[in-house]
Amino acid sequence: MEEQEILTTLKILIIGESGVGKSSLLLRFTDDTFDPEQAATIGVDFKVKTLTVDGNRTKLAIWDTAGQERFRTLTPSYYRGAQGVILVYDVSSKQSFNKLDAWLNELETFSTKQDMVKMLVGNKIDRSNHEVSKEEGLKFARKHHMLFIEASAKTNDGVQCAFEELVEKIIQTPGLWETSGKTIRPGQGGADVSQGQSCYCVI
Amino acid sequence: MATSHRNRDKMSTNSRDSMISVEDEADVFEITDFTTASDWERFIARLEEILHEWKLVNHKPHPPAMKDQYSTGSWAEKSEEVIFADFRFTFTYMYLKTGEETNSEVGKQDRKGEDEDVDEDHRTPTVFLDLMNFDNDFPSRTHFLCRWYGLQEFLTLTPVSEKQCIDSESRAKLLLSSASIALGNSACGIPLFVQLQSRWRKLFTGTSLVNGGATVEFEMSHLKRLPSQFCHLAGLLDVFKSKLGCTYISMPPVSVSVRFTYILADWIHGSWPQIPPDFSSSFCDGEVGYGEIDFLPFGACLDPINELHLSCTWPCLSEDMIVENSLYSDLDPLQAPLWSVRLQMTDNPQCLLGDFLNDFLKLSERQESTEEVLKKVMPEADADRDKQNPEISHVLQRLTEPVPALSSVPSLGNVVSSASAKITFRPEDAPIPDELLGKILIYLFPDAKTPNAVHEGKVNSSAKPSSDPAQSASATDSGSETKAPAEHVSDIAAELNKKLKSSPTDSLTHKLSLALCHVNHQFGGLLAVAHLWQEFILEMRFRWENKILLCGIEKGAPNLGSCIVHQKLQMLNCCIECKIKRESSGFGYGPDSLNAHNTPSDALLESTSASSTQNSLHKVGSIASSSGDDEDDEFFECEDDENENPNEEQATAQKISVEAQENARVKKASKSSAEDEVLSTKSDVSQYQDSQTHRPEGRMVSMKNYFLLCTGEQLYIPITQEPSPMTEDMLEEHAEVLAKLGTTAEGSQIRARMQSACLVSDMESFKAANPGCILEDFVRWYSPRDYIVVGENGEDVPMDEVEARSKVEDPDMKEGDNVETESGERVKMTKALQGRLSQRMQIPGNMWVEAWQSARAVPARRQKRLFDDTREAEKVLHYLSSMRPAEVVLHLMPNIVHAAVSKVAGEAAAALVPNARSMLDQLVSRAATLTRSFPLDRNKYREMLRLLELAETISARTTSLRSKFTSNHLASPAQEGKEEEIEGFVTSLLTQGEVSVRGGACGPAGAVIHKMFIAAQRSNNMIMDDEESSDFLDSLYKKPLSRHGSDRRTSSSSNNSGTGSTGTRKNSDLSVPSPTQEVRSSASCADFPPASVREYILRAMVPRPAPYSKVLPQRMYCMLTDGDNRLAGAFTSDSTFQ
Repeated sequence: MEEQEILTTLKILIIGESGVGKSSLLLRFTDDTFDPEQAATIGVDFKVKTLTVDGNRTKLAIWDTAGQERFRTLTPSYYRGAQGVILVYDVSSKQSFNKLDAWLNELETFSTKQDMVKMLVGNKIDRSNHEVSKEEGLKFARKHHMLFIEASAKTNDGVQCAFEELVEKIIQTPGLWETSGKTIRPGQGGADVSQGQSCYCVI
Repeated sequence: MATSHRNRDKMSTNSRDSMISVEDEADVFEITDFTTASDWERFIARLEEILHEWKLVNHKPHPPAMKDQYSTGSWAEKSEEVIFADFRFTFTYMYLKTGEETNSEVGKQDRKGEDEDVDEDHRTPTVFLDLMNFDNDFPSRTHFLCRWYGLQEFLTLTPVSEKQCIDSESRAKLLLSSASIALGNSACGIPLFVQLQSRWRKLFTGTSLVNGGATVEFEMSHLKRLPSQFCHLAGLLDVFKSKLGCTYISMPPVSVSVRFTYILADWIHGSWPQIPPDFSSSFCDGEVGYGEIDFLPFGACLDPINELHLSCTWPCLSEDMIVENSLYSDLDPLQAPLWSVRLQMTDNPQCLLGDFLNDFLKLSERQESTEEVLKKVMPEADADRDKQNPEISHVLQRLTEPVPALSSVPSLGNVVSSASAKITFRPEDAPIPDELLGKILIYLFPDAKTPNAVHEGKVNSSAKPSSDPAQSASATDSGSETKAPAEHVSDIAAELNKKLKSSPTDSLTHKLSLALCHVNHQFGGLLAVAHLWQEFILEMRFRWENKILLCGIEKGAPNLGSCIVHQKLQMLNCCIECKIKRESSGFGYGPDSLNAHNTPSDALLESTSASSTQNSLHKVGSIASSSGDDEDDEFFECEDDENENPNEEQATAQKISVEAQENARVKKASKSSAEDEVLSTKSDVSQYQDSQTHRPEGRMVSMKNYFLLCTGEQLYIPITQEPSPMTEDMLEEHAEVLAKLGTTAEGSQIRARMQSACLVSDMESFKAANPGCILEDFVRWYSPRDYIVVGENGEDVPMDEVEARSKVEDPDMKEGDNVETESGERVKMTKALQGRLSQRMQIPGNMWVEAWQSARAVPARRQKRLFDDTREAEKVLHYLSSMRPAEVVLHLMPNIVHAAVSKVAGEAAAALVPNARSMLDQLVSRAATLTRSFPLDRNKYREMLRLLELAETISARTTSLRSKFTSNHLASPAQEGKEEEIEGFVTSLLTQGEVSVRGGACGPAGAVIHKMFIAAQRSNNMIMDDEESSDFLDSLYKKPLSRHGSDRRTSSSSNNSGTGSTGTRKNSDLSVPSPTQEVRSSASCADFPPASVREYILRAMVPRPAPYSKVLPQRMYCMLTDGDNRLAGAFTSDSTFQ
């Protein structure tokens, strides 16, 4: 099974207000660790993980972004070509939930794929002081045709599930990744380069 | 036997045991057969194998096809290769895809009633039904075998190679009998045909073994000339009957279907109106506006509609009811019950747009670089001079040369100046004439016409001043013309702008694309393109160096939704804008000497050592963000000018050492291995904290309700540096570099550091604007959620939450109410004082703290530029000038496609092309995908141009056909109110293959067609169009055309202009309608030309071969045309009762 061919490489974005736990979610997913002292992201960060969903081995290039307002002149450049996005809010922060609309707007403006799969994640459910109920999250997700899950990077609730669900949905939307694979050339100069490209290729 | 053959391949030679066991079964023949299989046997076995594969064994009969299903239904084809000795054949199965089962059941029952006596035990075989099926007599488009024999499924054996053919009868017989064996073995009743003679002759012989003991023989004869006694129905009936061999009296009447086809090739009233545009006049004629460059040619040079074929059909008549012999004919086209029309399109109508664009795309195959191309026309001496002269001089020359002045007389001074100015060409060698080049450049850069202060100044100081103010003034006179004609705005245009990755239609990029396309078409292709491109690049450099913004390029960061060349030009514009700001207004970024001298007071405030720190810090950012190519850094960067500042001289030595350290560090850092050293450097410099004494500067706006935590001063949002604009390829490169760092913690760290330039710059601006500030202050502005205050219930709450809550609680409190909330602000400030940084901001050594410590108080305008316009501009210019003409062409193709699609949209709308919308939608979506796909693929663009050409052809066809059918000459009172029907007819003629004419000759469309034929006939016979004939026409349409002529034998035979056999000529005479006797005798010309194709299908149910045999279907198809006559007979014989 080790040598199973990689079906495709997908570009996934993680966006949301600062401090909602985007980097922690990513770290939990890729390294299965949690660092309460996770430094605030500057610009964008990047991780790779291979995930097998429904027998399809896919490589995920996950771009983690800084949530600060000021960085928003910089980060949207990296939205290009993403097939999936994880929009994160903090269930203990109403404010982070209220800003979701602005984030979706931004996504609308800068993403290049019309039918990209969007997932809403309510993070930090381990906390006691919930300000955003699950119902509110569900309602928002339904309104904007998104997947929805509540999660906690700290206790590892729903993190794996969120990514798997997202990838499965992307795979089920063949136009999203098949056609792109055809039009984009495989990276020159070895795996490292192709991994690094903001595009993806069917290997 | 069949089984053993089929399995032969699977058995290996060493399977002796199995052979023996077979032998034991006493089937001796098979075993010998198996081991010593001949070519012949192998061939049969292979056929059977294929038949099994295709599941044609024990094939169940199909119901006959429904009406017109042959033309409207879909056909499928399977084929395999088979070998007979060294002869290769393609074995093909063609069949009509039948609909759902229920329908066929019904059809079957219908047929059964009729054919009961043919077949009692079994269902009627498909072949029999097909042969007698009257519903699909002359299918408009289908395989010829289907057309000739009326079959809905058949197998063919065709030699693979064109050279090999079956030319002897014995070979044909051998092949056919072998195939028959295979069919018999498989109980497959599908007719099988073997192709004989050369392929073009379409000569086949075939057979079908029908269940229930009957064989159908398919025979065919193909003759250049047919003896005259057979050139009519009577003669053909004789042939048919003699072939059936039953001479006895009780022969049932033969049923006859006839179709005559008339060709109209002379369009008297609707000849093709398109005149090819004269490019030369539009360009070189001084009178014509420059807007002409926008013009794309459109239309076809030749009439896209070549011929109209009118088919008159008499379906299913009894032989007794119709007479056609050498003397007399009942087959008058005007009385045919069915009229149908099809168009013969011109193969290659030479579409102007298609040719125009294809010419351009062809350049993308050329490998030469711009220099190589231009060298060919460059005189040797001049070439040397070119090396010495700075390029800029001829740009200046170019721009300042007054365009109209050069137009007519090549004076001596003129020649001299161009020779020296445009180093590359002697004027007579220049691919694009001077005058025209000037026009094109002014079309591209309309602003260059206006004498502009910057221009003039530069011109006068330039080495070759050749400008005459009067002349430049005269150049501006025609300036109003330069505006490109407003683009026709429609849905399509809007959609194109939105969906295509090209450039706006009024942009420089778009204009440039069209201009290149035009010069390519007119001035010698590649050379002219290279020339114009060269001029364009020179102009770009000129504009950069002289700080003239590009016109027709929208301001702002590159629009990633446009094509790459456009993005590059936008980038260049950003650079120029930045340069203007930096240099002319004195406000700018960067520690260049000019700025430093202008603001000595600022410089005084700077701590020199801090400056070096800042410098080095930025170096990390800038080098890293430019993906590590630091070699041109030294070249274009002017940061070291700082040294010239007298206030910082003492820092130089220190700075150099730090820089060296930094350089080393950066190199290591990019190898992700020098983290510690970075940190140590940082801690070294962290001692240089900003002093709290400096004067605040670079404040943008105060931040309401925010006060500095230490001093209690108002907190100001600083003026910050804008982030660098980036083009798509830069972004991709940048992302690639970031991703390359890998996913380790070190990688992340370096990534963060690489991207921290912007953060540090903002921190420095913040410090400059807020003397005495601390990181907490910064964080409250920059990342409010990282400032934690104690909430009402004692819990930790991010600051923005508190604010959001207080807003909810205090809805009256508005931001504008300064005075009223004064006390409130103070309260909040106290609250804020109780806050602290979030946990993550307090991590020792985290990037934020680190950056904060190293940031000095420097306002944005004196910081090192985050966006290095010089460097980026040079990059763009280098990018543009290193493009080969082929690349230029390919990269501009999106714009060309954009222009072409909108041209097609406009033309198609004007021509009222049926289904134009769906055609255009398809074009747009194809274009959208194409322009977005990367890398650019020449072949895909070629495909796109083919589609565009097709759309152009369709549009031209529509125009042509409509003009033919609505020509004034054809109008008559009887036609009034029928326009709609004519319109509908034209539409269906364009969208369908063959269209039946409603009402035949009497319908409105039929009447028009009839008139066309008459007009063509008259012109062919040189008859003047006079009063009489129009009277005749009127009378013709007032009378119903149902009379049977009784005395046509007397009709004139003067019309012998028809070509071909006697038969055809005769027919032309006979086809004259009787009501026109008198008129016609004066006009002496038939309404219709001789029928070009005459087809007959003769069918009968006759027992064969003996009178006591079963009654079986017999059929013969005859096609008579000039020089190509074919009889295709299917004769069934009873194999039981012979």
